[in-house]
Amino acid sequence: MTESGETTTTIVDNTRHAALVALIAGIFAIATAYAAAFLPGGTPPWAPWLLALGIPIALGAIMILGAARGRMGIGPLKYPFAFVVAVLAIGFCAALAIPATEGPLSKLWLGLPARAAIVIYGIGLLPIIVLPVAYALTFEAQTLNAEDVERVRELGREYKTRSEGEQPS
Amino acid sequence: MIPGCGLSNLLLQVALPSAARPAVIAVGVLYFAVVIGISVWAARRTHTASDFFVGGKGIGLIALTVASVSVSVSGFAFIGGPGFIYAVGLGAMYIVLPAAVTNVMGAWVLAKRMRLLGEARNLITVPDAIGARYRSRGAQGLAAIAMLVGIVGYMATNALAMGVVINSIFGVGLGWGIWIGMGVTLAYSASGGILAGIYNDVFQGTLMAIASVLVFLFVLGFGGGLGEISRTILAQDPTFLGPWGKLTPLAALSFFFVFSMGSLGQPQAVHKYYMLRDPLQLKWYPLLKTLGLVLVLLLYFSVGVGVKAFVLNGRLPALGSPDQATPSLLLNVTPIVLAALVFSGIAAATMSAANSFINIGAAIVTHDLPVAFGRRVTDELRWGRLATILIAVAAAITAQRSGTMVAFLGIFGWGLFASTLVPALAVGLNWQGATREGAIASILTGLLTTLALETAAYLKAFRFPAGVTASAVAMVLSFLVFFLVSWLTRRTAQSAIDSDVRLVMEL
Repeated sequence: MTESGETTTTIVDNTRHAALVALIAGIFAIATAYAAAFLPGGTPPWAPWLLALGIPIALGAIMILGAARGRMGIGPLKYPFAFVVAVLAIGFCAALAIPATEGPLSKLWLGLPARAAIVIYGIGLLPIIVLPVAYALTFEAQTLNAEDVERVRELGREYKTRSEGEQPS
Repeated sequence: MIPGCGLSNLLLQVALPSAARPAVIAVGVLYFAVVIGISVWAARRTHTASDFFVGGKGIGLIALTVASVSVSVSGFAFIGGPGFIYAVGLGAMYIVLPAAVTNVMGAWVLAKRMRLLGEARNLITVPDAIGARYRSRGAQGLAAIAMLVGIVGYMATNALAMGVVINSIFGVGLGWGIWIGMGVTLAYSASGGILAGIYNDVFQGTLMAIASVLVFLFVLGFGGGLGEISRTILAQDPTFLGPWGKLTPLAALSFFFVFSMGSLGQPQAVHKYYMLRDPLQLKWYPLLKTLGLVLVLLLYFSVGVGVKAFVLNGRLPALGSPDQATPSLLLNVTPIVLAALVFSGIAAATMSAANSFINIGAAIVTHDLPVAFGRRVTDELRWGRLATILIAVAAAITAQRSGTMVAFLGIFGWGLFASTLVPALAVGLNWQGATREGAIASILTGLLTTLALETAAYLKAFRFPAGVTASAVAMVLSFLVFFLVSWLTRRTAQSAIDSDVRLVMEL
């Protein structure tokens, strides 16, 4: 392997390794929250906070695991990923932390009271504006291009030839 | 968690009021005529097993996107979902909020790799991908069995849902409704396979989106805007518009977890990645699918919240049950043509979901299970058609038995797919350290845990703490087992990946 090849592998491995560690940490946080719900005396107040943090971490981690490639790692995608993980985590935590004050005189944000607006417009709509656009804009560099497809087809042809050669006549 | 607000509420099994008006029947007849026309066209273009199961890998971007939206929502988005919001408030939105991230997450994690595996190996099923990734017929067979168990449940509930909707439109009785709905679905599934399914899904998805947008606009107009609707609710039931509605935070967040991470294991969506004609068209797939889903889900939000306000201010009569939210709105205040469109949209949603599952089930029976036992069916197209008929008839018979057993079968479909497939497929295709032992242990854990916990809950031998569901617990356990066993058997990880699969994983 060339020097640049080694560098590439190292960067990708580091990115994927970090994503894997984050995914495991997120799943552990979620598992702990569920396990806590079985404690005598009911669900402790900190259990939903573990889900509120564990879910964005796990989702962000698995997206990074899928998006990492080549020399770039996740390249410019780190910004949309960080944004979406932050939006989800802040949205969930804000919904947990802000006291319930909804009433007939509540100020409405685009037709909804503040905490509901955070959930519907923040968690439900903001990622839509950012993630699919980031996916499309970085597609050729980060995800797939014609050269990739041809390389896979070539290896597929080799695999087929090898497989047919191994079959008993 | 509020009693009765578990995953069982996600299914359309309620008796709908009769909507049999001339306009509704006329639109219903027109709908079925279009479905039959598309099916005849598709049947003439289905010549091989690849045509039958993956549309010859020749489906265009727009068609695949609309079809994927169509199979993603089912009748729940039109009936059960708005009813669920009506019952528990905004907490029910946590089922659909993940749509903001799931499509693009699926694209990064699975779409490219599965489409390229299809390119390199000519794969046609989800278990195929697992078999190729782990070089293991055992893992492929086990994934196929787990999927088949989930499909049995989904098919029975979809058949029942079709019966409920068709009975509501035509007033033919539940039994005839099941057989008419399943008969039409079977006709196009068996003759045109997934090609008929895809193009019917395009028609059905378009119908659903149009109906959803029109209902959304109608509700906003009828209610004087979202602000006025909110004011009405806040005056009498402010908890409804709290961030968790009437659910506990743990329950609402659990929904988000199961329906976000779990989406990576839903075969009806994942299977579609094989079908795209040009892999490079994946570029626009998540954006288009997300926008399509948002349109279809407008009805879910607007009807649930709107009907709550209209009942509170006396513009609609009190509902007999939450699931009457959509029918009550349609039959009492909307123009009858709009009601007709929505009822046809509901029929469309149930039929597209049923078709997709029939096709996947047939592929498992005629392709994956024989492969797992080291055999090949000589004529997969012919046997695929036969399996399609058997699955559809078995589902219709099971649905006719109705009652709680059918509900039970349907409850664990989503959770079973999620707990058995997400770690082995979604993580496994992106992490070369995953091993076949880890995959097999994870699939087994998901299958057995889901079956055991759901059965215990069904028999009332066990009661989950508030906010905890069998699906969530099974998926978490499956993840943990996957990581643990892969780590314990890590010496075999790198050597068990073929070079072409390795390239697909590294790109």
